Amino acid sequence: MLLLQLLVNGLESGFLYALTAVGFALIFGATRIFHFAHGATYALAGYGFILGERLGLGPLASLGIALAAALGFGLFIEGAVYRPIERSRGAFFTLFVAAFGVVIAVQSLLELGFGRSYVVVSSPLSRAVSWNGLYIAPLFWISLCTALLLFGALALFLKLSPYGIALRALADSRFLIRTYGLSERRLARLAFALGSALTVPGAVLGALSTGLTPSVGAHIMLVSLTAAVVGGIGSMPGAALAGILLGLTETLAVDVLDTAWSEASGFVLLFLFILLRPQGIFGAELRR
Amino acid sequence: MISYLVDLGQLVAIFGLLAASLNLLVGYAGLFSVAHAVFFGLGAYTAAHLALAVSPDLLLGVLAAALLSGAASLVFALPALRVRGEYLVIASLGLQMLGSTVFTEAQGLTGGYGGLAGIPAPSLFGWTLESREALLAAALAILILAQFVINRLMRGSFGRSLMAIRDSESAAESLGKNVALIKTLAVALGSGLAGAAGALFAFQESFVNVESFTLDQSVLILAMVIIGGAGTLAGPLAGAALLLLLPAALSFIPHLPPTEIGAVQQLIYGLAMTLLMIFRPAGLLGRSEGGG
Amino acid sequence: MPQSHAWPRRPLLAGIAALPLFAIRRARAEEPYVLGTLFPMAGPNAEYGTIFTAGAQMALAHIAEDKMLSRPIVLRAEDSQGTPQGGAVGMSKLVNVDHAIYVLVGFTGVSKAAAPIAARAKVILVNGGGVGPDLAGLSPYYWNVIPLAPDEIRTIVPYLASQNLRRLAFIYINDPFGNGVRQSLKAELAKVGGSVVIEDAILPTDQQFGAIAARIRDAKPDAVYFASYGAQQAEIIKQLRDSGITLPLVTYSGANIPSVETLPEAEGLVLTTQASALSSDDPVTQRFVRDWRAKYGTDPTAYNQNYYNAVRLFALLTASLEKAGKPVNGDTLRAELLARRRFPLVGGEGVFDDLCDISMKIVVNRVEKGKLVPLT
Repeated sequence: MLLLQLLVNGLESGFLYALTAVGFALIFGATRIFHFAHGATYALAGYGFILGERLGLGPLASLGIALAAALGFGLFIEGAVYRPIERSRGAFFTLFVAAFGVVIAVQSLLELGFGRSYVVVSSPLSRAVSWNGLYIAPLFWISLCTALLLFGALALFLKLSPYGIALRALADSRFLIRTYGLSERRLARLAFALGSALTVPGAVLGALSTGLTPSVGAHIMLVSLTAAVVGGIGSMPGAALAGILLGLTETLAVDVLDTAWSEASGFVLLFLFILLRPQGIFGAELRR
Repeated sequence: MISYLVDLGQLVAIFGLLAASLNLLVGYAGLFSVAHAVFFGLGAYTAAHLALAVSPDLLLGVLAAALLSGAASLVFALPALRVRGEYLVIASLGLQMLGSTVFTEAQGLTGGYGGLAGIPAPSLFGWTLESREALLAAALAILILAQFVINRLMRGSFGRSLMAIRDSESAAESLGKNVALIKTLAVALGSGLAGAAGALFAFQESFVNVESFTLDQSVLILAMVIIGGAGTLAGPLAGAALLLLLPAALSFIPHLPPTEIGAVQQLIYGLAMTLLMIFRPAGLLGRSEGGG
Repeated sequence: MPQSHAWPRRPLLAGIAALPLFAIRRARAEEPYVLGTLFPMAGPNAEYGTIFTAGAQMALAHIAEDKMLSRPIVLRAEDSQGTPQGGAVGMSKLVNVDHAIYVLVGFTGVSKAAAPIAARAKVILVNGGGVGPDLAGLSPYYWNVIPLAPDEIRTIVPYLASQNLRRLAFIYINDPFGNGVRQSLKAELAKVGGSVVIEDAILPTDQQFGAIAARIRDAKPDAVYFASYGAQQAEIIKQLRDSGITLPLVTYSGANIPSVETLPEAEGLVLTTQASALSSDDPVTQRFVRDWRAKYGTDPTAYNQNYYNAVRLFALLTASLEKAGKPVNGDTLRAELLARRRFPLVGGEGVFDDLCDISMKIVVNRVEKGKLVPLT
């Protein structure tokens, strides 16, 4: 029973991890930008939702604010920070430090705007209901449905829409895109918009269940990075699977190992993966 | 005021050494790491234990710390020989998270969050370095020595091989270079110097705990290297000085309400970091074009 | 190296009793007493920094109103960044640049990094936030105006036993504070025939507690005791309740912050605090509570109270030093504290032991509709 319960808990966080990780993988695949500020997008979306709720706008409008915050930030950082750096040099670590600076700035802004304490939107949806001793919150089903729905829609988009196909092609060859006359710039923006939007469900569910602090983005960033790599850089199904796997590992480690090792266990897994199977679950060998 | 500047100067010297040691990996060998704080921490714990149990001899502490960190760096050399670029960053991320957890949990050795307190003032050739200025001088001397060694090495055949590997591994291999050995040596040297910096840090703070060796610290060290200019001799020092002195300078902003100081300072700090990277992507002292 | 006194410029003035009183006043009025704060002002524990500072500021207002001292006091704030290194740099600035003589701190790592600097400079460090037993007697210049964790456990365990809650689940942060609580809890439980049936050591960075909830439900304890701090406490409470755990939740004074108490899931939370005695009739407490409510519209927390007390303590000590014509520095403040021992503070009389640690009356409270209601 305990194991079953832990599986449920692990899946619940796993779905949310999967969504943000896929967003990260999508951005990386299409632009080759290692988006370290992805966690900041998550934090902004979550606080956007909280702002809406505080203003009493109702859940739908709050969701809209969250989405607007995520999209706005994603496009802003692409245009104002990553683009100028890419143009001049594009060194991986220059982007890293720039993104790190943005993360610090966003966290400070959230602290100035919302105070430093823990915030949460109280909702009956997070309260678990017993199913013959197995405790499952309505949010579990919501995250399950949201994740499946969004993954389905994303897969269809990438398969059928010309832009989706172009995004996937971009992951393989930038040169190809240029010869076909598609704007790389436009596609990059699209990737950032989609990838940032994918943080919204996780952020909103986080605001409803575990709650948020201004520094919440750090953990999300680590998880997305890890899942994207374990899944195979650039592979979206891989990132999704790895996200779920990470959620499960963290939860099961509490019982199997020791609670203090819960967060680290995911990274031990990661370290082993890189040593033994660097291409990830689905990824092809990628070298630069 | 002077004493405050001396205290800051010690930190700048220690983190300058630390950034220079990471620069060996990032700038010269092209091996990106966000796990440097682990080796810094290993060195600090080693020196702290020696000082508390055996002798507060500065040279003993620094050498032992360097040796231990250098030896332990094999755990980073292992993935560094197999993967590159983003994969290596992520592998080092895993290593850092693992390291922080071990530092927290192995309380018998590290004291966990409680840390190791009451580390005595270091001694050198039988003299106790009671004053802060003496410790600053010692730290500066070690920094200069390390910079001298790095400079010599990088201009010699070892450095040329290392940079050849960085620019094209297959080309270097076809020229008959022992890639694995050279990379492992570079990692050991960089991590060993980080351990030495850790020993100085333990004496400087006279208290060490896991909070000084976290992912945030690793990222900060990396930011020092990048902001100063990776692959240059003076760049990491400039980066360390800037990132340590900027928050200190910001704390002199007058008339901030006490409850907002943290957030406002951090905001300026973060923005400065980003703007610098946008307008000087190669770092303060970096060449504006070329590899890295 | 001589950096021992905060007032090197006027070493002579203080002892010259023959000077006309007004002359001393005028001369001194130019140089205020400098107090420092070294709190986390950004990051996950910044809520505490805000709360701590508010308590100190109200005390400053009252001291100025009462004209308790001949010179004004200024408060210099440094952000400790919540790290030992940040604490050491901030402390060095407070001591060497601002020439603070009395610095307020609140967290273990920062305290331990700042304590050697304070001891070298003979500057008093006062803790009103951390309760780890390892904070007792860090140095002669390190004082605690908050009763340390073992005191709280000695109060809560007999209460729990009286409610027939003897088999506890225990969640604690794996640091000196958490381990100190663990040790005391086990010892006290043994005395009343109770035990810890399941325990989970967590890290301050952990955010997911659903899995722990599942384990606790499996072990079927009578109540859950948790020892954490900051935002994590609210996360623990919310997630345990969300996971269907209806057992009584019990904790220590760390939960005495608004973001925990106003959480709907915290209804019924049992926690120990020192007697803030909001209803107490001594004038010091009454004035504090009245002015606090007028200014903030809420009841003050134990932390507001502690840092109010820390600053009030400074004023009380300094007033008697001034009266005796003695200089005000770390050594004289310490001597005065050890000579007097008992002080009228908010929440009643505070009594200091040889290590300069306070003991105060501890009470058990329950959170009801976002407010603390004393049970004992």
